[in-house]
Amino acid sequence: MVPQPIAEVEREAAARPAIRAVDLVKVFGPIRAVDDVTFDLAPGRIYGLLGPNGSGKTTLIRLLTGLARPTSGHAEVLGVRMPSRANLARIGYMTQSDGIYPALTVGENASFYAAAYGVTGEAPVLDALTLVDLADRTDSVTATLSGGQRRRLSLACALTHRPPVLFLDEPTVGVDPQLRVQFWGHFRTLADGGATIVVSSHVMDEADRCDELLFVRSGRVIARGTGRELRDRAGSDDLEQAFLAFADENGVAR
Amino acid sequence: MNARRLRAIFRRVVSEFRRDHRSIALLFVAPILMTGLIAFIVREGQALSVTVVLVDGSSPIGPVVSGGLRSALEAEDITVVAAADEPAARAAITDGDADVGIVLPDDLGQPGAAITAITNGMDPIGEATQLGIVSAILVETATAALDAPLPSVEHVTAYGVPTDDPIAPYAPAIVGFLAYFFVYILTGISFLRERTGGTLERLMATPVTRGEIVTGYTLGFTLFAGLQVALLMIWSLGTIRVPSIGPVPEFAIGLGVATAGNPAIAFLVVLLLAVGAVSLGIFLSTFARTELQVVQFIPLVIVPQFLLSGILFPISGLPEVLQPLVGLMPVSYAVDGLRQVFIAGADLTSAALQLDLVVLAAIAVFFGLIASLTIRRDVA
Repeated sequence: MVPQPIAEVEREAAARPAIRAVDLVKVFGPIRAVDDVTFDLAPGRIYGLLGPNGSGKTTLIRLLTGLARPTSGHAEVLGVRMPSRANLARIGYMTQSDGIYPALTVGENASFYAAAYGVTGEAPVLDALTLVDLADRTDSVTATLSGGQRRRLSLACALTHRPPVLFLDEPTVGVDPQLRVQFWGHFRTLADGGATIVVSSHVMDEADRCDELLFVRSGRVIARGTGRELRDRAGSDDLEQAFLAFADENGVAR
Repeated sequence: MNARRLRAIFRRVVSEFRRDHRSIALLFVAPILMTGLIAFIVREGQALSVTVVLVDGSSPIGPVVSGGLRSALEAEDITVVAAADEPAARAAITDGDADVGIVLPDDLGQPGAAITAITNGMDPIGEATQLGIVSAILVETATAALDAPLPSVEHVTAYGVPTDDPIAPYAPAIVGFLAYFFVYILTGISFLRERTGGTLERLMATPVTRGEIVTGYTLGFTLFAGLQVALLMIWSLGTIRVPSIGPVPEFAIGLGVATAGNPAIAFLVVLLLAVGAVSLGIFLSTFARTELQVVQFIPLVIVPQFLLSGILFPISGLPEVLQPLVGLMPVSYAVDGLRQVFIAGADLTSAALQLDLVVLAAIAVFFGLIASLTIRRDVA
């Protein structure tokens, strides 16, 4: 095989989607939680999965991370078909629940997940805690933290291995407006560093912070575009109204 | 007290509990099953079958007493075999061919003569029952045949030393059982938290394997189980004398139970049992949604082991239909292994002890495997 010039390899890598969903279907009994979803997500961007509770966002994320097996179709992350245990080292996942150990200290929680991801050394752990502004609370027992601090620690635990792909499932639920602004600042910093971020939310006012939005309803992606594009296409100034317009149009307002 | 508020609280408790079908089922079914099982064991327990090995001795009246004893025993459906001397009788007992040995002394009929009764020593509770049956008949026939003061009966055991310390028969079994019980509860509840707290889901999104999780848990809890067992051993085997200080009289700490074997080997037996309890806790936490439900498995999983492992009820006396279950109880192998060490002084060259250790290890590995299968990526 003739070796390709470096520049060409890099260009190809940049063009290759970071995340792919190909005809993804997940059926739970009579419910089609994810109903034939196909998309490509480019690297270095923030994508918002927007939809009401129960629309299938979490299931979609679980399929993309390989935590759940699709009924049909498949998912790829960084060109690797999921589920792939080795590939999990390149993926960060912040679950909807905090998923941290209350009896451990802040530092112990972050170090534990770092070790689970195969990270060595203290520096990455400290970096992640610094990013979420918890570096001075390393020795605090997690149970003594406020709800917002726990959410920040939960985010830090998904970052210690500096993953190029991040899935954040409702990261700002229960987070006060001030902290929410900080969170989005963190996400932007990470995306500027080249990370691909998928954020699920049911709060429409967060949507404009994403580079691109995917409206999810009844397990389907009913629309995709920037906030502006979606508003224009729906002929509405309000993203919520736009969402409902797309839902009607797709006949999924069941 | 406000009646309306009181009623609200009462109704909340009832409504919540009513929807927890498992708790309701256990509240009503578990006690019925448990009392039923205990009653069945006590009522239907087999009269312990007894085989007696008789040594006549060289006294002139030996054969007479022996003949009378034999027919009296056989009248009670007790099998009687003969042996030439005491070593032969002991051999018959250790080989499992006989349960109780009666050795008539060469000076039978003389003042001070003593009859020797031999039992195995490994199952103190069961043997006490068997010896009791034989002794009653022995006293009757010997008194009739000798027409003289009854010679004393001296009880010896093939393994260990018969002790009148009432806790001695139970101590090894209880050490093993308690370790099993506590390790199960601790692991079950803490792994349930891992499942319900979202940390397991998160852990499964890392490259960590299921085998690593189960093995890591096992190592972690085995450390604490090991410390617990070590403390329990020191407490039950040791006696630390505290000298009298001022008005406080001298006293001893520790139960001071005698052991014939090496406590380190007994420790190994309990540790293997505890490893199995860790995997069992992980496995059963799959079927629980709350900590209460982990506790609810106790009547189903722990109590039968207590009843069917020879801790209180000798295994040989259990009803026949329950006998096959004994082999399925991990605790029964630990109880046997501990008795091998505590009473028979078995070391690692003993085949019986080796078997117990191998089975305990196999049980730990088996439950470890099925525990790791329950941590499925799909439903975690």
